[in-house]
Amino acid sequence: MRPCDLRGTSVLLSVSVLFVQRAKRVCDDFRALDLRPSKSNNMRGNRRKTAYKKTPVHPPRSNKMPVDQDWPSVWPVARVFHPASVPLPLHQGWVEPGITPPGKFANAELMKIPNFLHLTPPAIQRQCEALKKFCTEWPKELDTDEKIDHHFPLQITTSDYLHSSPTIRDARARIVTLQVKLSTLNLNSHAKDKLLRLVKERYDPVTDILTLVAERCPLRKQNIDYAMYLLNVLVSESWKTEPWENEKSEADMEKYVWEGSQSQRTLQQLLERMPNKAPDLPEVIKQYSVNVTRFHNEGEDTENVNAYKESVIKLLGLNA
Amino acid sequence: MLRLMAPSIASNVIVPQLRQFHASAVCCKLQSGRYKITPKRDRPLTYEMANPPYYIAHRKSWNSWDTTSLLDGQRAAETSVEDVFIHRFMTGTWHDLFCSEVIIKRQHNLIRIAGLIRQGLPARKMYFLIGYSEELLANWLQCPVKLELQTVENKETTIFKYI
Repeated sequence: MRPCDLRGTSVLLSVSVLFVQRAKRVCDDFRALDLRPSKSNNMRGNRRKTAYKKTPVHPPRSNKMPVDQDWPSVWPVARVFHPASVPLPLHQGWVEPGITPPGKFANAELMKIPNFLHLTPPAIQRQCEALKKFCTEWPKELDTDEKIDHHFPLQITTSDYLHSSPTIRDARARIVTLQVKLSTLNLNSHAKDKLLRLVKERYDPVTDILTLVAERCPLRKQNIDYAMYLLNVLVSESWKTEPWENEKSEADMEKYVWEGSQSQRTLQQLLERMPNKAPDLPEVIKQYSVNVTRFHNEGEDTENVNAYKESVIKLLGLNA
Repeated sequence: MLRLMAPSIASNVIVPQLRQFHASAVCCKLQSGRYKITPKRDRPLTYEMANPPYYIAHRKSWNSWDTTSLLDGQRAAETSVEDVFIHRFMTGTWHDLFCSEVIIKRQHNLIRIAGLIRQGLPARKMYFLIGYSEELLANWLQCPVKLELQTVENKETTIFKYI
C-alpha cells in the first residue's frame, strides 16, 4: 500500500501509513549492538579463526525488494536457490505433523532441488520475443498435412541426445530413419512386387510406408547419404527386368491371377464345346473369375465357397 | 551361526583335511549415515544427517544430480570419481567451512557446486577461494564450473534436531 493512494481520502490516515513505512525501514536497517557476544557460538569450527574482525553482514536483500520489481532481471538465468534473492516465504523438509518445516535460510534441501525461477511466464515471453526475429514464416501454401506429404514425401528422422557430461558425442545420434510412402514412388505392379521382395519386413502394408534404418556409418551425414543411396538403388533395381524373370510360372506366383491362368484356359475350351451359351456370358465369366480369385487368395470359408458355387451354376446354366 | 557339516561318510576318514566348514551368519548391520542417540540427547544433527539414506527421494534428495543413472546414461564411473574428487577438493580448500554436504549439480557440460558455508572468512578471501576453486576445477575437469554458495552465520544455524 502506498501513501499516495490514500492522499485523497484522509490526511491523517496517509500520515500514519507514512509513519509505519518509515518505522519499518528503520527496523530493517537497525542491527542490535552485541555488547556481550553469546557463548553459544562455541562449537568446533567456530572456536578458531576468530582473529579477524567480522564485517557486518547485511540483511537479505529480499526484505527490500519492491512488490512490482522486474523478476526476470533479478533471476535471469538458471541458478542454485539463494534465499536472500527470493522474496518468498518458502519451507522445505519433512517434520513431524504440527511442526513448521525448516525455512529457506540455511536449508540445503532447497539448494538441491532444481528450480525454475528463471522460467517465469514473462521471462519466457521475453525470450520468445528476442528469438522471433530469427524465425521465418511458415509457407502459406502448405496448410494441410496432405499437401506437405505430397510435396515432401521423404521423411528423415534423427535423434539428438543431451547428457550432463563434458562431451556432446553420443553413438546413438548417428542412427537415421528414412520413411517414404510407397505410393509416391509411382511404381508399376512388377516394380512394386520386386521392391517388396527386396525390402522384406521394412515395408508396412497397413500404412504403405517403407522404412529404411541406416546406422552402419559413424556419422549421421554419412548415414543419411547411405539411406538415400539405398533408396535410389532399390527403386532403380526394381524397375529392371532380368531375362530370368520371364521364366516365372503359375506355381511361382505369390497371388492367384486370373489372366493367363490354367482355369481361364480350361473355361475357354469348355465354352467352345458348349452348345447353348448364356446370353449374359461376359458378366457371368467376370463374376466367375472374381470368385475364383477370391477363393484362392482369401481362403476357403463358407461365403467364398457359396459364391463360387453360385457362379459355377450360373456359368454352366444348371437349374438347381 | 551357520555350520555346514561335511557328510560323515567313509571319505571323511580317508581324507582327514576334509572335516568341517564354519561360516558365520551374515551381518546385516547398516551403519553408514545413521547416528546413535546420546544419553543426554545433545548430539546436533543437520537435516541431512537426521534422515538416513533410505529416505533419499522421500524426505531428502540426492547430493549429486546428473544423467548417468538414466537409461543409457554415459560416463557413470567417470562422473562418480569426479564427484568424489570435487567433494575432497571443496572440503579441503574450504577447510572447516562447509556446514552441509557438497551439492554437485551437472547441467550439460556445466558443473554447479553448491553448499552452505560458514561466515568464518573475510569476504575478500571468500571471493578469492571461489575464483580459485572454479579455475582449478575447470582446468582439471575440462568444463565450466560454477560455485553457488550460501553463507550462514555459524554451524548452529544448520542444526535440525538433537538426539
